[in-house]
Amino acid sequence: MEGKAFKASAKSSSHPGSGRSSLQDIRSMWSTATLSQPKLNVQLPTVREDSELEDFSVSGKTRWSYDQKAGHDAEGGWEASDGGEDKDRFKPEEPELGGDSSQGSRLEEDASKTDNEKSTSESSLNISRHTPHRAYWVEQQNRLPLPLTELMENEALEILTEALRSYQSEIGRDHSLTKQLQRYIEGLKRRRNRRLQVLAI
Amino acid sequence: MKLKQGSFLWYLYLDKLYCLLSVRNVKALVEYFHLLDVHRKNTLNDVLFYHFLHHVTDLTRNQITVVFHMLDWNAAGEIGFDQFYMLVCILLAQENHLEEQFLFRHSRPVFELLDLDGELKIGPDNLYMYNFLFNIKKEQLRDLYYNFDITGDRLLNYKEFKLFTIFSMDKYQESQKAEKEKKNEKALLQKKVAQVNESQRESLLGTKQFESISNYNC
Repeated sequence: MEGKAFKASAKSSSHPGSGRSSLQDIRSMWSTATLSQPKLNVQLPTVREDSELEDFSVSGKTRWSYDQKAGHDAEGGWEASDGGEDKDRFKPEEPELGGDSSQGSRLEEDASKTDNEKSTSESSLNISRHTPHRAYWVEQQNRLPLPLTELMENEALEILTEALRSYQSEIGRDHSLTKQLQRYIEGLKRRRNRRLQVLAI
Repeated sequence: MKLKQGSFLWYLYLDKLYCLLSVRNVKALVEYFHLLDVHRKNTLNDVLFYHFLHHVTDLTRNQITVVFHMLDWNAAGEIGFDQFYMLVCILLAQENHLEEQFLFRHSRPVFELLDLDGELKIGPDNLYMYNFLFNIKKEQLRDLYYNFDITGDRLLNYKEFKLFTIFSMDKYQESQKAEKEKKNEKALLQKKVAQVNESQRESLLGTKQFESISNYNC
């Protein structure tokens, strides 16, 4: 891999290197946070994470795996399942009917038909109950997990507060850059407090 | 160099093969960068950069300054996201002991970073200056210039540097293999010892039972 600017790889595989402690991972915090949302007794679809080279022939898109118990491992966390594939997975199978024309067999057919219909409707009900909330997952595709956002903002606040002290001592309190930084920090703090208030409710 | 435990970067990880971040990780990193981009210029100035590195690593002031000058390849006095991303990859490679792999996979960008003067050659001083980032030991440096300076000008051009990265990668893989074999041997030995102990215990129990039965009969 050459070239000045790095290009992000499309996937990440394997676990991180040595030295990780067994502290609770932000990714497991996220998975706990999602559980606090309307509970779904869902067996989330686990699709194996395939390499870039494979899999394009199958679905035309890279598949991701989602592990709800995203403990300390790198594979866990915020790689969500592909909603499109769930659709195919949960398509109920159409019952196949025989070609007999006799009444008995027709009755049997009808019975089997109704049985099949019942079972398919039941299964579809079950499926609809267990289908993950699509809007939620679509949103998760575009947004970062809340605990991660919190962590980032808290850290940024700490860094910027220290930077503000440097600004004030180096270029003075009245400088436009110092004032801009101050306003920005206040904005961040307000945002954080608002979020904490919402969580408290 | 160590990353601060519990910091945002600490939770990121590199793909072990390509030593790059995944798209999700990059997305998070972009958000983080924008949080630090106070002046809305898609850059971090030297003060913000210093406080960021000071907060998330244990680098000294001088080391942070060296890193800043290394990354500020346009001499703009500011670091853009490209450079920020590269820095994060370097930090994570060191944190996860993937330096050899990283140098091997990204030899060209690393060479260009180390080539401060733009002469397409790097001297031992350059490499030593960034020793804390790439974890190249002094003995390795000596070997490097002794074995790989084919042109004999006491400087490394890109091809010589690339050879060095290939060599150190091979060495690293061999050491990994040796370590793995050692571990397997140890595990096998432990298993054998456990089996022997188990069989000894069983035979002892067997003789004891026999003795108790014979005593009872008497």
